[in-house]
Amino acid sequence: MNTTLHDSASKPLFSRGPGLALNFFFLACVSIALMVMDGAGTRIAAARAWAAWALQPLAQIAAAPQSLALLGDSLQTRDQLEAENRQLKQRQTELDGRLLKLESLEAENERIRALLSSAASLPDRVLISEVMQTSQDPYRHQIVLNRGEQDGVYKGQALVDANGVMGQVIQVNPTTCVALLITDPDHGIPVEVNRTGLQTIALGRGDGQGLSLPYLPGNADVKVGDLLVSSGLGGRFPAGYPVGHIFELRHPAGENFMEALAYPTAKLNQGRQALLVWSEHNTPAVDLSVPTARPEMKQKAQHAQEQAAEHLAAHPAVAATEAPAGSKPAADKPAPAKPAADKPTSAKPAADKAAHGAAAAPTPAPAPAPVKPANKSAPASKSAPASAAKPQSKPPAAEAAAPKESPPPDTPPQ
Amino acid sequence: MSRGSLFPVFTLTLLLALILQMVALPDVIAPFRPEWVALTLVYWAYATADKPVLLAAWLSGLALDVLFNSLLGQHALALLTVTFLVRRLRGSLIIFPLPQVALALSAAWVLYAFLMFWIDGLTHHSAVPSLRWLPVISTTLIWPLAALVMDRFRAQPKLRRLT
Repeated sequence: MNTTLHDSASKPLFSRGPGLALNFFFLACVSIALMVMDGAGTRIAAARAWAAWALQPLAQIAAAPQSLALLGDSLQTRDQLEAENRQLKQRQTELDGRLLKLESLEAENERIRALLSSAASLPDRVLISEVMQTSQDPYRHQIVLNRGEQDGVYKGQALVDANGVMGQVIQVNPTTCVALLITDPDHGIPVEVNRTGLQTIALGRGDGQGLSLPYLPGNADVKVGDLLVSSGLGGRFPAGYPVGHIFELRHPAGENFMEALAYPTAKLNQGRQALLVWSEHNTPAVDLSVPTARPEMKQKAQHAQEQAAEHLAAHPAVAATEAPAGSKPAADKPAPAKPAADKPTSAKPAADKAAHGAAAAPTPAPAPAPVKPANKSAPASKSAPASAAKPQSKPPAAEAAAPKESPPPDTPPQ
Repeated sequence: MSRGSLFPVFTLTLLLALILQMVALPDVIAPFRPEWVALTLVYWAYATADKPVLLAAWLSGLALDVLFNSLLGQHALALLTVTFLVRRLRGSLIIFPLPQVALALSAAWVLYAFLMFWIDGLTHHSAVPSLRWLPVISTTLIWPLAALVMDRFRAQPKLRRLT
């Protein structure tokens, strides 16, 4: 007690008197001034950097326990290192071997392509564009890009990003263009399953992130995780670009067709850039007299196609834009017509989709078709490309009316 | 002379507190890290009458600001305020036994946490509010222990223990 009193009484003014409050007030003011300055800008950044440098030893000491722990990690036994080394060498050899094989395959592929004199190599003319805005309407998946007519953008041009196909241009303005994404419910894109070469059409589901492959035969060889690539049929989309990964298969009992759902590989709503691709088949294929009357049409499918034709007729704009192809895609795309076969009531939507699927792939693209590995397991619907490949020339005009006279369909395997 | 002999201890404890404040902890217990620097400064403000605790609080606060890359002056102001109040109320605090002091000082930790929270809010710097108050608990619990340990380090005649 005595000592306490004595101690505090010895310096009463400096430790507790107004001096203390004054000190506090001064330092607090300086602190606040520092905060204001620091918050306002970088005027004291240099002082801060110096202070950080001066405090570096302290930080290092504080980090010492951690680095000690890391040191423990790096103290591995010789055995471990040797084992790892062996493992890595083994893997290296394995990969080298695969690489050799890849090179030979590449060379072989080139030779075969040369033999076929096909133009299926990836197009090299691209133009990068910025996404200017996206549609806020949840049911329309469109984006506006900063490239337009003056950059040579054309309607129907394919749009890709670093990961896959994004969509296609549907409207060209002088300096901008509007693109429809592949997830839009109005969009269809011809795809093939990369693993098997199975050809089909992927339609947008409209939920912003899914693709639907509704026209798969019941026994189609499709698995969850399969990669879908653009098949290039129709000529609108260049072949070989990734489109999606299948994440679910639905096979309702009693239905003829199985449906697969896929996520697009492209980052549809994330990136700010997109690549416009000049496909080699972009020119209106008026002179392509590839036939499309497909032998394996069903009666109901024909009905659906009629409706599709009507739809085209009813929408002159659409019909006009897809004029060259408009007539045939309806017949050309076998897939969209199918559901009609199963559910007559849904014929109309199916027809609509057929029309839009057609929009996705208006031109018959004779060139890529032969290259496509065969649709081994592809039954009726899949054989469309095959039929397209066989030139049974009919004038397109004839063909537009033709569907009805097509021969009896072969039923898809159940 | 007492100042000279105590000074290294004073400085060393503060440096140690700064280091403890920075040492990496497992994620689970990291939110419970006591406010070592505030705890040490408050101890010195409470236990001694002649240490330049305000200046020390301000400097170590600036050091914390630099080390944690917070707004320059944020820790400084909070530490300064808490230290000043404890030093100011020292006369009332020292007459109570240690456990009661520890309990009373929890108000100081709350004030400290609130000041940090408030300045963060003023500068729109978001943080998880619930995690902000966990150090109050841990600091309150650990302060008596730390006080006893530092008492041992101070090779001084016991100034304040009344009982």
